Amino acid sequence: MLQCIFLLSDSGEVILEKQLTGHRVDRSICNWFWDHTNSQPNSYKVVIIIIIITFSLSSIIIFDFSVLCLQQQPVIASPTHYLFQVCREGITFLACTQVEMPPLMAIEFLCRVADVINGYLGGLNEDSIKDNFVIVYELLDEMIDNGFPLTTEPNILQEMIAPPNIVSKVLSVVTGNSSNVSDTLPGSTASCVPWRTADPKYANNEVYVDLVEQMDATINRDGVLVKCEINGEVQVNSHITGLPDLTLSFANPSILDDVRFHPCVRFRPWESNQILSFVPPDGQFKLMNYRVRKLKSTPIYVKPQLTSDGGICRLNVMVGMRNDPGKTVDSVNVQFQLPPCILSADLTSTHGTVNILSNKTCTWSIGRIPKDKAPSMSGTLVLETGLERLHVFPTFQVDFRIMGVALSGLQIDKLDLKTVPYRFYKGFRALTRAGEFEVRS
Amino acid sequence: MAPPPPQSNRSPSPSQPSGKSEVSDLKLQLRQLAGSRAPGTDDSKRDLFKKVISNMTIGIDVSSLFGEMVMCSATSDIVLKKMCYLYVGNYAKVNPDLALLTINFLQRDCKDQDPMIRGLALRSLCSLRVANLVEYLVGPLGSGLKDNNSYVRTVAVIGVLKLYHISATTCIDADFPETLKHLMLNDQDTQVVANCLSALQEIWTLESTTSEEAARERENLHSKPYVYYFLNRIKEFSEWAQCLVMELVAKYIPSDNSEIFDIMNLLEDRLQHANGAVVLATTKVFLHLTLSMADVHQQVYERIKAPLLTQVSSGSPEQSYAILSHLHLLVMRAPYIFSSDYKHFYCQYNEPSYVKKLKLEMLTAVANESNTYEIVTELCEYAANVDIPIARESIRAVGKIALQQYDVNAIVDRLLQFLEMEKDYVTSEALVLVKDLLRKYPQWSQDCIAVVGNISSNNVQEPKAKAALIWMLGEYSQDMHDAPYVLESLVENWDEEHSAEVRLHLLTAVMKCFFKRPPETQKALGAALAAGLADFHQDVHDRALFYYRLLQYNVSVAESVVNPPKQAVSVFADTQSSEVKDRIFDEFNSLSVVYQKPSYMFTDKEHRGTLEFSDELGNLSINAETGDSVVPAQRVEENDKDLLLSTTEKDDVRDPGSNGSAYNAPSYNGSAPSATSQPLADLAFSSTGATGQAPAPGLAIDDLLGLDFSVGTATTPSPPPLTLNPKAVLDPGTFQQKWRQLPISLSEEYSLSPLGIASLVTPNALLRHMQSHSIQCIASGGQSPNFKFFFFAQKAEEASIYLVECIINTSSAKSQIKIKADDQSSSQAFSTLFQSALSKFGLP
Repeated sequence: MLQCIFLLSDSGEVILEKQLTGHRVDRSICNWFWDHTNSQPNSYKVVIIIIIITFSLSSIIIFDFSVLCLQQQPVIASPTHYLFQVCREGITFLACTQVEMPPLMAIEFLCRVADVINGYLGGLNEDSIKDNFVIVYELLDEMIDNGFPLTTEPNILQEMIAPPNIVSKVLSVVTGNSSNVSDTLPGSTASCVPWRTADPKYANNEVYVDLVEQMDATINRDGVLVKCEINGEVQVNSHITGLPDLTLSFANPSILDDVRFHPCVRFRPWESNQILSFVPPDGQFKLMNYRVRKLKSTPIYVKPQLTSDGGICRLNVMVGMRNDPGKTVDSVNVQFQLPPCILSADLTSTHGTVNILSNKTCTWSIGRIPKDKAPSMSGTLVLETGLERLHVFPTFQVDFRIMGVALSGLQIDKLDLKTVPYRFYKGFRALTRAGEFEVRS
Repeated sequence: MAPPPPQSNRSPSPSQPSGKSEVSDLKLQLRQLAGSRAPGTDDSKRDLFKKVISNMTIGIDVSSLFGEMVMCSATSDIVLKKMCYLYVGNYAKVNPDLALLTINFLQRDCKDQDPMIRGLALRSLCSLRVANLVEYLVGPLGSGLKDNNSYVRTVAVIGVLKLYHISATTCIDADFPETLKHLMLNDQDTQVVANCLSALQEIWTLESTTSEEAARERENLHSKPYVYYFLNRIKEFSEWAQCLVMELVAKYIPSDNSEIFDIMNLLEDRLQHANGAVVLATTKVFLHLTLSMADVHQQVYERIKAPLLTQVSSGSPEQSYAILSHLHLLVMRAPYIFSSDYKHFYCQYNEPSYVKKLKLEMLTAVANESNTYEIVTELCEYAANVDIPIARESIRAVGKIALQQYDVNAIVDRLLQFLEMEKDYVTSEALVLVKDLLRKYPQWSQDCIAVVGNISSNNVQEPKAKAALIWMLGEYSQDMHDAPYVLESLVENWDEEHSAEVRLHLLTAVMKCFFKRPPETQKALGAALAAGLADFHQDVHDRALFYYRLLQYNVSVAESVVNPPKQAVSVFADTQSSEVKDRIFDEFNSLSVVYQKPSYMFTDKEHRGTLEFSDELGNLSINAETGDSVVPAQRVEENDKDLLLSTTEKDDVRDPGSNGSAYNAPSYNGSAPSATSQPLADLAFSSTGATGQAPAPGLAIDDLLGLDFSVGTATTPSPPPLTLNPKAVLDPGTFQQKWRQLPISLSEEYSLSPLGIASLVTPNALLRHMQSHSIQCIASGGQSPNFKFFFFAQKAEEASIYLVECIINTSSAKSQIKIKADDQSSSQAFSTLFQSALSKFGLP
């Protein structure tokens, strides 16, 4: 049972406070939390003073830069309360309790709060929350009562409290009625399908199914693929009149290692025939998550080479296609952090641009990999005086995007609509992105 | 009376407060609007309300506007209403009289046509939390519970709980619990049912202390009919309510195995739920149901594995953290379950360090014969990581795996590679590990010593690593050619060595080296003993003296004491007892798992008390020490003591056969004060004289031996005829007040006896001791080595009070004391009394 929720800005200021029970939690807990956070060795203030770097465009950056890295544990015991915290885009969601409760429940709930507020305000930042704090209060009011979570389903909340979008702003100016609370209660609170609006009506009935996959891979120093797996999502955007009953089946469901479903999915058909049978919520939602383990290869390769001697380190990175997935690989990006012992770097690339920020983050944006020649980046790093060789090696984080392909090989077989006699339009798409794709050197 | 145009009122962001003047400005504007019925009033009201609430949000006190806000609350605009409810809910408690004004419009709204407004009004009405308004609550709540809209019923159910917290008797008298029970079993809407369940659980738990019926009802909730009723409807519940039901089911004890399987079959699909909280709650049910069936219990581990691993890799870092904490608990109970999935615990570059740390622990825990090689390879890559704390942790993890006896051969090679990496922190960690390894596997000494010999002691700065290196120099001095000379150069730099631990080890190592290679070491030994005797640190001084006397007495006896033949350590002591682990497992899916200690350790007042520490008197924690809570505290304290000893006595080889008692046996080179102090008994006088010590340590020795009439007492005045009231009482408020008012009448610094320091593991030990001397503690806190206490005492048969602030630093064995007293003249006498009480601390 949560007793209080605070929203803190990235400077530790209380943006919003919501007391949930009769026990009033004093604001001083936030100061305690903030002091505690800043006193942790893990949440160090990275202040990097002046570095001079030349790169392919031979320009010089002189910069003074500081970032606060929040690395605070999500669950902390303060002298008076147990605190749960979730940090999103610089906003800290802090919840307090004095009684035992499942920690994951509190963390999950805070994540949902962050997601819902993010969805309502179209992005999380201090100003948008301050400008719309009445809406945030209203949302929290409906999401949690007396410390116990009620409904966190965005579809339902949107029916109770209208989001502050441009349309409603324009409407309010025109009609003079600027209430953002809908006049009626959501019908679904009474229906047996709590995630669905009671009776939506559409002129065009349509369902879009997207497979969105993220490839997580780790390649070690010797170029061996240590770990490679795919975390995928089936995202559905449904606009169907009435109470539709959909079934979705895959051509090769056996490749899935583990699945998680939206509450609307019925478990039995999946267990017996690997068919997803569900009554969809209205609008956009995440139907299922899945995981495919033990993939054998990655679509592109990244080969870093570092040789250091006499205070100078030579760096060479090659990027290229490994197994052509049949579609273009674009938005290729390689990013790495130069070790602190490096004084300056001079890097040039045969393709794309190299950019070194003052906090020693180096980004090589390649874009689309050319067919004829594999791009490479090379140059020298100057080490601190007195240091002969490099002992700390950077990890290269690779980003890419492939439209139209689900790299796990998962294929949708068919999508059927039962119970409602309408004709409807079906659309399928696929996309694979790099998740935590890292290459060690 | 035209309202100001809204445009001019609207600030770009309602977040800039300008303080007092703005509040009075707002007050004026609200007054103007209060009676207005002109069109557009609502808009200007809304802007004003927004400003008021934004001020409230920032923390400015706008309670003075209460009257005006209530006057403006007559409106049909729902957003205005909501803001007004919010405001009223925030300030009603401090304005109980004015809150009465709001009752009227809230009661009216409770009868509104719109169910949304009915619900909101009822919620606000119940959130006022003013005790003398409860009579107005019963009516609306009663009709709310019967409302035909489920939203209103949901709100009303929670309202009953709120009412119970304001006035339990009113709630019971209105027979609300019975109504809730009826609703719980009959309502169509599952959210109403869920809220009834959570409300009733809370009410009955609180009532059960006084009412037998409530206790019986609470027990009934775990009975078959109830549990089955909830289970049958589980899919209709919202995800959060499902968690609640699962908690209930986990407490249910099925009558036979088929029932267990039925429940598990029913709940199996919950493991596939998108909400991690539901998955974990289901896991708990499964694990607890099958505790009695060993083979099914194993199958459950297999079944829950995949869903939990998915949660780890797909959730946010915060979620991963919570799940990993639970996985860590599971893997401790069944290490083999994840042994083939170890790759899930490989750290990713971007992860926050709290997740990485847990993952490293997991990797250590899952290592076995088949995967050790790969895990260690992976861990070695982290050693070159940019993140230094993680690099350290991963080296430690390698060491832990090595001590688990899998594939030691390869690991020793890796560790030796670390030593050659020329990174100071890597070298340091590796040295400590090599030392531990050698204690367990003496057969590797040849290989290790060859590498360790190449490390220059100048490059090792960290005390722990330096101590480890010195230990190895002493232990293997016969194999390391230049050991005596390295030790000699270390002894030469004695004064630059700040860590007492290192100096202690240096003394012992020189002794050991001396027994093996006397001619080469003699000079170093002489220098070390001389330096040790002159050392200001009590332990170092004592040990040096002890060695000196031993050598004088008989060299061969000294050798058998300092350097006896050792057995290899077979198992290092586990920090957590299996009983504690079982208790944590019982509390699966709770905070206990995250903190890695059972709930009594952090929810009991006694234990919490020790956590609480603040420099400011304003936040003083009250030391509620009751008779019955002392027992667990002592137990834990003893545990802590064990830990303390085991760390300071790392050098000793623990005979696997002798349990615990080996700690105190003075046979080895232990640093435990009890071991060194006894032989000193007959030497106390000469020691203070011979080495020319400052009086402070000498005094401590005298106190230690209880020799009150020795030379040392010359510095201590004889106890004056001041007696204290053994039952003095002072409330914290008065303490604070007095502390602020009174000047400091005395400020002193004392030394503490080593025994006292050893006993001061937690502040509570000292509290009890001082209490027996009629000096009460009002607040305490701190962690080793710094503790802080506030004491008070009262003169017997007089009202005169003494207040003491006492800061103890255990590493320097010093305490700083500030005394404030009503009667300034007697403060010196009290100080003496306090000092003598303090010096007796720790004596048997």
